[in-house]
Amino acid sequence: MTEPDRIAIEAADVWPEDVEETEAVVVNWFAREGRRVEAGEPVCEIQIEKVSVDVPAPVAGELVAIECDEEEAFTRDDALGRIEPA
Amino acid sequence: MFEDMVTARYYEERLQEEYLEGKQPAFDISAGPIPGELHLAAGQEAAAVGVCQHLRDDDAVTAPHRPHHVAIAKGVDLNRMTAEIFGRKPGLSGGKGGHMHLYDPDVNFACSGIIAEGCPPAVGAGLAAKKRNEDGVAAAYLGEGAISQGAFLESLNLAAVQKLPVVFVVEDNDWAISMPKERVSDVEDGSQRAGGFDMPGVRVDYDDATAVYDAAEEAIGRARAGNGPTLLEVQVHRRMGHFMGDPETYRPDEDKEAAQGRDSIERLAEELRAAGVDDGDLDEIREPARDRVDEAIAWAKEQPEPDPEDAYEDVFVNPPSGATTDEPTHELAEPGGGD
Amino acid sequence: MAQQEPQAIERDLTMSRAMVEAIGHEMRENDEVFYMGEDVADYGGIFDSTEGLLEEFGRDRVMDVPISETAYLGAAVGAAQRGMRPIAELMFVDFFGVAMDQIYNVMAKTAYMSGGSVAVPMVLTAAVGGTYNDAAQHSQTLYGTFAHLPGMKVVVPSTAYDAKGLMHNAIRDDDPVVYLFHKRLMGIGWMPAPDGPKTAVPEEPYVIPFGSADVKREGADVTVVTLGLHVHRAFEAAETLAEDGIDVEVIDLRSLVPLDTETILESIGKTGRLVVVDEDYLSFGVTGEIVATVAEERLAELEAVERVAVPDVPIPYARPMEDEVVPNVDDIEAAVRSVCS
Repeated sequence: MTEPDRIAIEAADVWPEDVEETEAVVVNWFAREGRRVEAGEPVCEIQIEKVSVDVPAPVAGELVAIECDEEEAFTRDDALGRIEPA
Repeated sequence: MFEDMVTARYYEERLQEEYLEGKQPAFDISAGPIPGELHLAAGQEAAAVGVCQHLRDDDAVTAPHRPHHVAIAKGVDLNRMTAEIFGRKPGLSGGKGGHMHLYDPDVNFACSGIIAEGCPPAVGAGLAAKKRNEDGVAAAYLGEGAISQGAFLESLNLAAVQKLPVVFVVEDNDWAISMPKERVSDVEDGSQRAGGFDMPGVRVDYDDATAVYDAAEEAIGRARAGNGPTLLEVQVHRRMGHFMGDPETYRPDEDKEAAQGRDSIERLAEELRAAGVDDGDLDEIREPARDRVDEAIAWAKEQPEPDPEDAYEDVFVNPPSGATTDEPTHELAEPGGGD
Repeated sequence: MAQQEPQAIERDLTMSRAMVEAIGHEMRENDEVFYMGEDVADYGGIFDSTEGLLEEFGRDRVMDVPISETAYLGAAVGAAQRGMRPIAELMFVDFFGVAMDQIYNVMAKTAYMSGGSVAVPMVLTAAVGGTYNDAAQHSQTLYGTFAHLPGMKVVVPSTAYDAKGLMHNAIRDDDPVVYLFHKRLMGIGWMPAPDGPKTAVPEEPYVIPFGSADVKREGADVTVVTLGLHVHRAFEAAETLAEDGIDVEVIDLRSLVPLDTETILESIGKTGRLVVVDEDYLSFGVTGEIVATVAEERLAELEAVERVAVPDVPIPYARPMEDEVVPNVDDIEAAVRSVCS
């Protein structure tokens, strides 16, 4: 699954600076596996404590894998999904 | 006064802990031991104790959706109030009302969930006292966000024109949820609203419990003596967000920090120290107050939840049976009663 | 799952985002559209109903107002009478009483009282519904209260797709539209939605006309007529009932005024059995209205009827009691079984 040409979707870049919590929950996915996404398009929404944040697609391409489902918890450095660049 | 303030602050801190249980890592309003929304009043204690110190059990108080500190200052049964907040059967309303709808008729306290909604009933309590030739007083609490609400402004007018024994207490915590004061009103202080109704308008700054006490003494004395209403505004501060779960992303960090620095309890403690009370004496007040809170929460959590069928009771105090019965099933307050 | 063309897969939106997309589009197209309410600017709406609009449109068009519902809802009416297209948000529908005169006597009746010469092209949005223990003053739906008085169109979306199309239609409508969104369906992190309201939503604008009820699940045995959150609860009940061979048709009303009686009657013609499910109070409300309409038109074909709604008590706070009075999946299932027996 972790072929090098697949880019991980990570939440670390959008993690609010003033939040100490390192765990969060995926609230919503806006793309299903197989959808072609644009770079910067919000692909999912996560909630850290009380704050909810959109996670953008790091590159344009096809969302090939969702690795953390809705309502699932993950930690800051986990990949939420993978995109195969177009 | 110090004891009530410490109790109220610690109460909110403990409720915060309890409320957040089961809400990590993500906040879910439906999870955890306390149902529903929770609006905590940490930082607003001075307004509660400074006024309620002068009130008797038969004086009425109405509070808004952020009521715990006022309830504590008014002497509401702490165990049953806590049980209500936890949604338990021995709660003040048997679990029907919850944290925004606390009623304790023994001390004539009530609160409700819609802005300025308690003002007209407080005017009514004042009206009842006047009609019965009693010297009872009513106090209506509201936030500064409520000073533009019709129910408040109409109540000021009615109380003024009827010369009713009512004190309106505006708790100015600077924020109406996300709206800073300067964006909801062009007057700097809510107390200025009094001018339009030809009643005294008094403002107390700096979360100063002693100054509130003095101002309230005059306002309540005036009301009790039959000289009409007063509008009293107290500057307080919001330490915990509008409700638990409020991310407060709209609020500048400096403002949050400033609120933490403006501690009315510490201010009063300083005054007491200056008057010769030592820290040991203060601890002797603090510790039992905290124990009382811990005990109330522990007791509440041991109580059973209501039965589902309990939901069908209390819609009416005299349940309709086709025809009105001759004998009311509910004991109504006696004229002149309410001790 | 069969391999699809990547481009063919629409993005999914939550109900709140779908509403905001429609509002944003209408505001871009028409300078006369603006939004006002409490905590709608910096906060983005307590239930995310305006998230992101302030950043794009600024404070003149996304207005936070003082807490004074009579004044600002009445002002929306006045601006609409002058031809603007305000969207005014009432934070919780329960607060409507504060401004009841402006809503009931001005917004709703202006068209009629003026003999049709003055229109009120505004949208009144409000959050409705319980299921999170917020007690008697923050949990009602009050669908029937608005539908009862002539002059207001009343819209209740249950999915993101519907929310967007109905919002476009609401803003473009020349009459006052009451647009009631259920908090539990908005897709907010702190109030997780059931599966269902988040749907694929086309990026381009589209309208869903009012008075077009949607048969969201076809079935031959029983017609369940419902709206809002209970569309999804009805689905869940229908899944279980299907295992026992009971085939349930679920009709989502989408609007109460106008009411699409045709779709309901057509379904009754097929099933002969009716269950109406509503999160509003039982008496003098939606369930009674639907049953009466069907009885008037199709009495002979009607074999059995059940109503599932909040028994006539205010919404209690403690969980066991709220769960008791707000209709749940089991209640719907039991009602369906009862009309089938």
